[in-house]
Amino acid sequence: MSGLEQFRDRNVSQNYYKVKIEPYPKSGWEKFKRVVKRSLKLELFVGLKITLLEMIRFNIHTIQYPKEKLPIAPRYRAVHKLLRLLESGNERCIGCGLCEKICIANCIRIDTKVDEFGRKVPTEYTINFGRCIFCGYCAEVCPELAIVHGPDYENASEQRAHFALKEDMLTPLDKLKEQKEFPGFGAPTPAADRLIKKTPLAY
Amino acid sequence: MVRVYIDGKELKAQKGETILQVARREGIYIPTMCYLTKVKPIESCRLCVVEVEGVDGFVLSCQTPVVPDIKVTTNSPKLFEHRQNIMKLYDVNHPLECGVCDKSGECDLQNKTLEFGVNRQDFTAKDQYRPIQKWQYIQYDPSLCILCEKCVHVCNEVIGDDAIEVYFGGYKSHIVPKNADTLDCTFCGECIAVCPVGALISSDFKYSANVWELQRVPASCAHCSAACHLYYETKHTSITNPKPKIYRVKNEFEFATLCGAGRFGFDFENSASKDEAAFSRAVEAFQKADTIKFSSFITNEEALILQKLKEKFGYRLINDEARNYQQFLHNFAKYSGKSLYGADLQRVQKSDFIMVIGSFTSSDNPAVRYAYTVAHKRRKAEIINMHPIEDDLLKPIVTKFIKYEVGAEEAVLAMLLDALLDEESKQKVSKKWFEELDIGYLSAESSVGEEEIEDIIRRLERKKRLREDTFTLILGEDLYAHPRAENIAKLAGLIDRLSDFEVLLIPPKTNSLGVALICDLDEEAGEYSIGYNVQGDFTLSALGDGDLDMPALNQQEGTFTNIDKRVVPTNVALPYDGYVLNDIARALGVSEKEYTIEFTPELPEEKGYRAINFDDLPNQFLNDGTEERGYVLKSKKVNLSRKNIEPIAELPEFNGTVIYRCEPVLQFSPFSHKAHQLNWSSDLIGSEQFSVAAKLQDGDHVVIFSQFGKIYKQFRIDKKLKGTIALMGVSDMGMRFFDMQASYRYEKVKILKRDEL
Repeated sequence: MSGLEQFRDRNVSQNYYKVKIEPYPKSGWEKFKRVVKRSLKLELFVGLKITLLEMIRFNIHTIQYPKEKLPIAPRYRAVHKLLRLLESGNERCIGCGLCEKICIANCIRIDTKVDEFGRKVPTEYTINFGRCIFCGYCAEVCPELAIVHGPDYENASEQRAHFALKEDMLTPLDKLKEQKEFPGFGAPTPAADRLIKKTPLAY
Repeated sequence: MVRVYIDGKELKAQKGETILQVARREGIYIPTMCYLTKVKPIESCRLCVVEVEGVDGFVLSCQTPVVPDIKVTTNSPKLFEHRQNIMKLYDVNHPLECGVCDKSGECDLQNKTLEFGVNRQDFTAKDQYRPIQKWQYIQYDPSLCILCEKCVHVCNEVIGDDAIEVYFGGYKSHIVPKNADTLDCTFCGECIAVCPVGALISSDFKYSANVWELQRVPASCAHCSAACHLYYETKHTSITNPKPKIYRVKNEFEFATLCGAGRFGFDFENSASKDEAAFSRAVEAFQKADTIKFSSFITNEEALILQKLKEKFGYRLINDEARNYQQFLHNFAKYSGKSLYGADLQRVQKSDFIMVIGSFTSSDNPAVRYAYTVAHKRRKAEIINMHPIEDDLLKPIVTKFIKYEVGAEEAVLAMLLDALLDEESKQKVSKKWFEELDIGYLSAESSVGEEEIEDIIRRLERKKRLREDTFTLILGEDLYAHPRAENIAKLAGLIDRLSDFEVLLIPPKTNSLGVALICDLDEEAGEYSIGYNVQGDFTLSALGDGDLDMPALNQQEGTFTNIDKRVVPTNVALPYDGYVLNDIARALGVSEKEYTIEFTPELPEEKGYRAINFDDLPNQFLNDGTEERGYVLKSKKVNLSRKNIEPIAELPEFNGTVIYRCEPVLQFSPFSHKAHQLNWSSDLIGSEQFSVAAKLQDGDHVVIFSQFGKIYKQFRIDKKLKGTIALMGVSDMGMRFFDMQASYRYEKVKILKRDEL
């Protein structure tokens, strides 16, 4: 049978079999006998043997959260980061407003102005985390890879609608060296170099 | 009417219409990059090509008139490929800065690049060094420019500044200021409006918002009586301040034109909260008062509320500027037989012979200037401008300038009437009056030569021979406050009735016509006055300096009656939290309405208004350019007066230092001055001749002793100005501005340097 045929066949015999189970104790006396039997045969410790052995060997596998944290997958969408250009330290954001436009929770706002070099710069950038649904559209639409999802997933705050300001998200200048190139949402694939077509600018 | 077929659809078209015009009117899409409805076809983009059956090759639809039974195809694989190639050429070296470009999201280049699927680039060209040009309100980025030439054509054909031109140099071509290093024009900003890409942008708006964030509020401009159609574009002020703010103004540039005051002077709003104490003081003041003084910067509905207040409490309504206009209109009607003047701006655009008397049009009412510029450029209309001061801006447009002496307006109109009427009409008016008319004396005193009047008649006769016979006479603000305004109005009425001219009486301020029609205005003020945008014993002010705040005109909904006698709606661009005039009327028991606009259907029908609800008033332009804004007032028949016109009075003498009250271009009132881009002070501007006569140097601080008291100004010499009359703008003087609007615009004054005091 191919495709969906097998599901259309309603006329199936059921190959169930019964598991052998000891009969349940019926009277009080029988119950008492079972308790005594189970206790004295130390069946409990058979199961606990591995746990006890590992305890004695101090081979603990639990993550000590919040002291320890597991690494997060690169495409995990947690609290946003604003990145800088690695060479110059300039902000990557050009204030194009696409993230603001695409945001379906309508929680991003940007103020822009002309800076002293005649460029468009965002003077303020905020995300309302009380509304953000961490869909990742903003990171995906960003043409400059400026807004990305970072690995920080702890959103506990005194305020329900915690308001992230630009300085909270932007890589501090002294931590520029620690800024990692973002491999997640919207980032070029590892094969990008091979796939990208060159603009014909060879005069 | 001819029958044409576009894409198989049978359509009717006027003779002389182009294929593109028919297609646009019928909603058939033909892509264009350089076509601008209000100017002649530019033919630089070649994107509007279509196939015509029986014709080899493509045809430019923007300039080809239809012929009977023409069969047009607007789209085919061949046409698509042709258009795609054009778009590829446009895209060569166009900077990929859509991310920051102000035009992104409403850019013709962006749209058509996507429409024609330009996803690969087969051409290259070596790029040039193209620095950004900063021209005050306007900024030009040549690397974004696609040389469609819309800006050049609109500047030349509609505005009349002729300030920019194309520097031709193959791939190096770009737009440059004409005969100058930097742009020196009236800064109407129409070039910004028509630019299909982000090459010409507003310096103030640059990089402050994106088009998709802005909310469009259709409204009417509140600065002058043209009440042009515009959109206020609003957005929250900033992240920390959620209050809406106007970021820029846009207009329907395909069909309508906006001047710089409308475009750059948009943030004149007043902010206020509900101040109950002030409100109850206002109500008390109203109970005490016997007079309401007000300006014409109000809506029709507010004027109606004031009129209702008058009807109930017997207030005297004082608005001398509108009263002058009302009287003028009244006297005009008695001799023309129509309750309203006949011409409008549409007619001016289609006129062949235009006379302008008593208006400094380039600053009084730029829309009138644009209208006759269009007439001159498109129909080669004769533009005769008569004024004591020659306006340098109008020189390229005006075909004949006639200078008359200050105060000689009555004599000028009498001479015109005498020249324009034939014997039969003269007989009808009064033979005696014409016989008594001493043309020699009038000519000598007004310094308008008889040969100049003859020249006008000669030009008129030539136009008549060519069967170009749409004639319009435009009369301006100078006449309404003239001591002999009554007789001038009668003369104008006679010209309207008995000659081939239709007359346009430019309403002096935003809603002067509305106020003149709706309110019964009084002459004498009483003892205790309420001032609405005028200094009174208790002042309501939209400028924010009175006893009770009022909303400015960009915070109100309502209607204006504009120069076209059209009742145009305007909407709320910014919220206003304080009290409005309707609240006071409610407190006084005159109004039971919740909103001011509920008065719109109650505007007086006997004056030509119609009982239409505000929300039913349209405010748009149709595809074929038809203006569908509000409705046009119906002119009523008026019984002709049997009284004869008076003989011409002896001409007044204006010797010594004479100044002319005239706002600089871009300024109209304290409201335009309040806008942050136009917040500069108006100087006293004189010619070199004036400076010698008045012993003043350029930059002197002077005191002008006028009938309105001392006025402090800085003196500037304008080398292009001629004559001995200085121009004085008063829009930077706050509330005092409104008191000065009712007097004759010329005044003999004493001017002293400030350090001589």
